[in-house]
Amino acid sequence: MKKSWIATLAVFLVMIPLTIYLGSKIPGRSYYLTGTFIIVWLLIPFFMKFEGKRPQARELIMIAVMCALAVAGRVAIPVNHFKAAYAVIIISGIALGPETGFIVGAVTALVSNFFYGQGAYMPWQMMAYGAGGMAAGFAFAKGKLPKKPLPMALFSFLSVILLIGPILDVCNTFLGMPEVTASTLAASFASGFPVNAIQAATTAVLVFFLGRPLLDKLERAKLKYGVGEV
Amino acid sequence: MTHDAFSKCHPSVNFVFFILAICFGAVFQHPAYIAAGIVSSGTYYVLLNGKKSIKSFLRLLLLFCFISFINPVFNTRGDTVLFKLFSRPYTLEALIYGASIASVFVITMLWFGCWNKVMTGEKITCLFGGVAPALSILLVTVFRMVPEMIRTAKRIVSARLSIGKGGAEKLSERARSGASALGALASLSLEGSVTTGDSMRARGYGTGKRTSFSVYGFRRRDGALMILVAALAAAVIAFAFRGATRAVFLPERYFAPLSGANAAGLAAYCILLLTPTVMHIREVISWNISKSAI
Repeated sequence: MKKSWIATLAVFLVMIPLTIYLGSKIPGRSYYLTGTFIIVWLLIPFFMKFEGKRPQARELIMIAVMCALAVAGRVAIPVNHFKAAYAVIIISGIALGPETGFIVGAVTALVSNFFYGQGAYMPWQMMAYGAGGMAAGFAFAKGKLPKKPLPMALFSFLSVILLIGPILDVCNTFLGMPEVTASTLAASFASGFPVNAIQAATTAVLVFFLGRPLLDKLERAKLKYGVGEV
Repeated sequence: MTHDAFSKCHPSVNFVFFILAICFGAVFQHPAYIAAGIVSSGTYYVLLNGKKSIKSFLRLLLLFCFISFINPVFNTRGDTVLFKLFSRPYTLEALIYGASIASVFVITMLWFGCWNKVMTGEKITCLFGGVAPALSILLVTVFRMVPEMIRTAKRIVSARLSIGKGGAEKLSERARSGASALGALASLSLEGSVTTGDSMRARGYGTGKRTSFSVYGFRRRDGALMILVAALAAAVIAFAFRGATRAVFLPERYFAPLSGANAAGLAAYCILLLTPTVMHIREVISWNISKSAI
């Protein structure tokens, strides 16, 4: 607990400024490198928090099931553009809280890279998916948004189109655009928008149908076996 | 290809090599360095992926063209105007600059493609098992669960088809049916997970400090390779800071000359990047020699 706070401070006060400073000194094009390193530093405190909690076997396996479900889920839905990953991550965030939601998202991104292979986007995907799970956890924490199909579907639509998608578009800007300015960022967002919109819509549909049943199943598992934050 | 000599080295050597290759590849814009990067990453990619690499190359070529052609749209500097687009000049200089960015992109993607083949899941967990034990066991568990879940998902889908569900033509029906199949998969896996968790607890998970085991020993060869990689990388960095990789595209093209000491920098870079390829080819040759000796 305490260690992860120290790590967070170290990341924000030392590592990020240092990376930006060194990045500006590099002879050559350093956007992608600097950006990716910053993303990697930002991921560290989350994982340290997870390590610090010393998760018990049941909790750990439950998280693993949600990650595997997010990676393998696309096989269960043989429809184009329907990627189960976002839906499962968002529902995990809602059911298991922001911290676990982040871990589910980040690990899903990491593992699907081993199975489907994309590479250069990996740290960014970990951050984007993790952020999606975490945002869902915060938005649906006790006493906030109601855990009903329509609000959950709307929330997932917005979080894919405004949070997860744009983070990946920023990576595209850093990787393939001549320079990182407002206009090239806007262009990346614009070119990514159709894909993001389709994925947001399909995710919303999935969450609408799947959200409540899957939540109930998770709640039941939590209640029956006493896992996680009941 | 299962016989890759570089993949058999200690994961730390693989890791350091790829991090360096990707960092250098993402930064250097000097044409000679770009050429070295594309040739070495492309060769190694082909050695690792065989015929499958043609498809990836075509996809990368498409992305290369896209990134090259998009740059002049934003970047209007340069004197040689090719034509006007939306009443803004589309210049040759910006196009060349775009091509260099696209090449850097291609190199990064190719190295990551090789990384995916070499840095397998158990190598990552071997490297980070000591530092992040909970994350490592989570990763190992997920790696094991995914293929099993894919099989289960296929079973569920075909079982649903045989009772007349999920084959509908209407998109909304199919999406709904997919959600049901996913729900069934979740129930099945969640129930099973608790048994797994209890079984882990019964075997003493979480009772003490987690130890880690690795099949990879750090041998003398790995040490020598690590020193070689580090020395070459240090040389490349030193030359880069002396300006050997300097490349300016706009407003006027200037590339650092490759004569004299700068040639040594490029040579170090080439040797560094070609290390896995050379190791792979050497192994193939010695393998064939010993096979023909039988």
